[in-house]
Amino acid sequence: MYLRNFGISILTAILLTISSFSYADETCMSPYMQKIVGQEDYVYVWTLGVEGLGDEQDKLVTIDVSPKSKTYGKVVSVLSVGGRNEAHHSGLSDDRHYLWAGGLDSNKIFIFDVATNPRKPSLSKVVIDFVEKTGGIVGPHTFYALPGRMMVSGLSNNKDNGGRTGLAEYNSKGEFIATHWLPTDGDLKGANKTGNFADGYGYDIRVQPRRNIMLTSSFTGWSNYMMDFGQMLQDGEAMKRFGNTMVLWDLHSRKPKKVFDVPGAPLEIRCAWGANNNYCFTTTALTSKIWLIYEDKSGEWQAKAVADIGDPSKVPLPVDISITSDDKGLWVDTFMDGKARLFDISDPHNPKQIFEEKIGSQVNMISQSWDGTRAYFSTSLLGSWDKTEDADEQWVKLYDWDQENLKLSHVWTVDFYKEKLGRAHQMRFGAYSLYSSKNSDEEKSVSMLDK
Amino acid sequence: MSKKIVSRSALYYLLCITSLLFISKLAISVDNEIIYSGPGDNKDGYESRDYVTKSLSINERKGEKTNLIKYAEQSQLGLPKLKIPKNNPITEKKIALGKKLFFDRRISLNNTMSCAMCHIPEQGFTNNEIRTAVGIEGRSNLRNAPTIINSAYYKFLFHDAREYSLENQVWQPVLKHSEMGMPSFGFTVKKLELIPGYKNLFNDAFPGEGINVATFSKAIASYERSLISANSNFDKWYFGKNDKAVSAEVKKGFEVFIGKGNCVSCHSIDNDHALFFDNKLHNTGVGYADSMGLLIKNNKTVVQLAPGEYVEVDNNIIKSVNQQKKKNDLGLYDITENPDHRWMFKTPSLRNISLTSPYMHNGVFSSLDDVINFYNDGGVQNELLSPKIKKLNLSKAEKINLKLFLESLVGENINILIADALFQTVGDLTKDDPNWANDKDMGYNK
Ligand code: HEC
Ligand code: HEC
Repeated sequence: MYLRNFGISILTAILLTISSFSYADETCMSPYMQKIVGQEDYVYVWTLGVEGLGDEQDKLVTIDVSPKSKTYGKVVSVLSVGGRNEAHHSGLSDDRHYLWAGGLDSNKIFIFDVATNPRKPSLSKVVIDFVEKTGGIVGPHTFYALPGRMMVSGLSNNKDNGGRTGLAEYNSKGEFIATHWLPTDGDLKGANKTGNFADGYGYDIRVQPRRNIMLTSSFTGWSNYMMDFGQMLQDGEAMKRFGNTMVLWDLHSRKPKKVFDVPGAPLEIRCAWGANNNYCFTTTALTSKIWLIYEDKSGEWQAKAVADIGDPSKVPLPVDISITSDDKGLWVDTFMDGKARLFDISDPHNPKQIFEEKIGSQVNMISQSWDGTRAYFSTSLLGSWDKTEDADEQWVKLYDWDQENLKLSHVWTVDFYKEKLGRAHQMRFGAYSLYSSKNSDEEKSVSMLDK
Repeated sequence: MSKKIVSRSALYYLLCITSLLFISKLAISVDNEIIYSGPGDNKDGYESRDYVTKSLSINERKGEKTNLIKYAEQSQLGLPKLKIPKNNPITEKKIALGKKLFFDRRISLNNTMSCAMCHIPEQGFTNNEIRTAVGIEGRSNLRNAPTIINSAYYKFLFHDAREYSLENQVWQPVLKHSEMGMPSFGFTVKKLELIPGYKNLFNDAFPGEGINVATFSKAIASYERSLISANSNFDKWYFGKNDKAVSAEVKKGFEVFIGKGNCVSCHSIDNDHALFFDNKLHNTGVGYADSMGLLIKNNKTVVQLAPGEYVEVDNNIIKSVNQQKKKNDLGLYDITENPDHRWMFKTPSLRNISLTSPYMHNGVFSSLDDVINFYNDGGVQNELLSPKIKKLNLSKAEKINLKLFLESLVGENINILIADALFQTVGDLTKDDPNWANDKDMGYNK
């Protein structure tokens, strides 16, 4: 069904086939996954329910983003899932037929069928026993497709609602396979604690299959990510409970190898694509830095801070990031000032900011099209962390990106409050071209699947 | 205590913790025994750039079961015999059932909150990691979660003394919108009936009664009543007349406690026991300071970003992400509306106090040093300040000794109580439990 040994050859094949692209959000996806390289048809927005708004519950919102369509830029379907689960991240299965979306609070995992009717996804399965099955992981966060598997990172645990947690491995059918606890001092699981910290916290997952490595980052536990943000900032005890580590794993054996000190809550991880680019980036939410995790000349993996984002003393709070497929650019959204920044990372050891623009009063996620000419932005960070009153805008905005002139141009906005939907969080793309062998845009879809 | 074969990792944290314990002179017997007390995610020293993690493996801490009933039935040195209500005689079955319920996260609207998520065993049955409790869906609560240990002795419960028995107290967090959020008594009982296992356990513990509003709270109250902890080093010295049980410093600290510090005038000590509370409420100025905004010194708040790394954040920025505005906490006044009762709070016991930071009804102080400095300064002046609170002019040595005395109040069996709690499986949603997503709903429209 898929290629077990997905390697450099296929990657280079893709890079060669697609001539004229420079930027891509699809690069944030698992390399094991089929990609949309042409025009995406739909954006699926995992949306948080808000008390006092509409049906008050979380939903998957589908926006038609095909410019040829009569309903371009409009919400075309809404699927309410019951409860305010703290909708957060979502991830597509390796065959891209299913979208897994998690509730950081309820620990439910909603598995949507996005292939049968991409315009109107349906709920295929709800995993309700995530905490029980994993032995106490709370807060299913990242859903990262590995061949025949879904690796799910947790944020917390059912013992103290703190940050110690693990990874949960599921098969593609949504059946639990194994728990991999993050290394702690109490049980380093054979990993090398390279610095002062081995906190056992979790957040994101990325892999470089060529190097047989998996990387995880670290955020905070339930009692912080669910807490009122303003209250938390004033709570000196709570502020001690943020992750300060990244863990390097052996991808195949799922064994942690190294624990790096990366202080200040390293969140999203993006790995480079180039066949010889053995490195990944992360940004630290609290300390506002870009960190590079790289394989040095002697073949050892290292972590180091390579740039500041904005003025760290103002706590701009870098959230989502997006690497470009040519490994030359890194988009960084900062929540507090509502800005998108582009860093030139041609020299990964010396990122330089080349562009910045305010997108709104708050901004969290960014998703770019494969060719890098379109960027979608959304607003919500966490139910209890979003801004208040007028600053609490909730939307998905589409911008066109002109790389040559470094210019973002606003195309449309879907106002999620006006439409009584809720808070817009993560966006994932859908396209007919993924599911049809004889579709009109065939050349726009690259299949990595050995069908 | 039987010797245990300790795994390597267990040994590792045993070493970490024993050394810590010695530093803070917490005199728990540690020979060959796993120490369970203290947050698994230890942040001691986080203020410094040199902070080193001492995090424990969640998975490897399985705890150890104990027969708890003896703690409710037998007296421990330092505490009087516990009065068990006539209408709820204590039994092993009730304790076991109550314990299971205490750790069951399904007793909340969205299956995420149990009593133990706020009253965390290894954190002194409170929460060391946040000042004020965070409940279901992240809702803010006004107050710090107090410990459950020895709560059976209180005449009044809650910081404002609004409840009078453990049995009555149980239902409030269950039904409160900001704690566990269950919609009603009946729905809770019905849900328990549908969770496999509970019917039999209730029938066993309460023959002929089964699951109902009263048996639910009687079971949990029975568990709480078994969480009694005294026979501390202080007790062994003061009541047990063992001169070697505490250091000379602790004895000097005790002198401050009953003398110059006048602490004992509220944190009471009797001839043959010491509850360290007086079943009264007082205004120490903590609540007043909070309501009047005296805790905010300028327009900035110091926020910690990482070990040893701080910034001053403009309060307007903090305000811009403060969705849940809290009401002011007026203490006893909130339930009596008597203006003389403004900012009066219940005197808490000081037993096991070194395990239950942060302190005061709002968790405003993170260390015992902060608390001692607060009293030394005469609390916070206000027209209703208790006349018992005055500037103390304690010397540095007196403050240190007072703290060492407070640290000598850790009960001897604390580790056993925590180990027993960790042994209890946490109740989480399974495929057999009632939930719409499971086609096992609550039976409506059938
Ligand atoms: C969301 C966190 C939270 C949950 C869940 C919770 N509590 Fe509490 N508990 C608190 C807080 C906060 C207080 C103090 C409230 C006040 O004084 O108004 C408290 C007070 C108490 C007290 C009074 C102690 C004293 O010294 O007066 C007892 C007993 C207690 N809780 C038992 C329980 C039981 C039993 C449950 C489960 C049925 C439970 N709690 C669930 C946070 C929680
Ligand atoms: C006027 C009565 C009174 C006196 C005198 C007094 N206290 Fe208290 N103490 C209280 C009350 C009431 C509280 C709870 C205040 C609150 O929750 O805001 C308290 C809280 C505390 C706490 C925190 C307990 C917890 O669990 O949060 C400590 C520690 C403490 N006192 C120690 C002392 C010491 C040491 C002294 C002597 C220097 C002292 N107290 C003198 C009434 C008193």
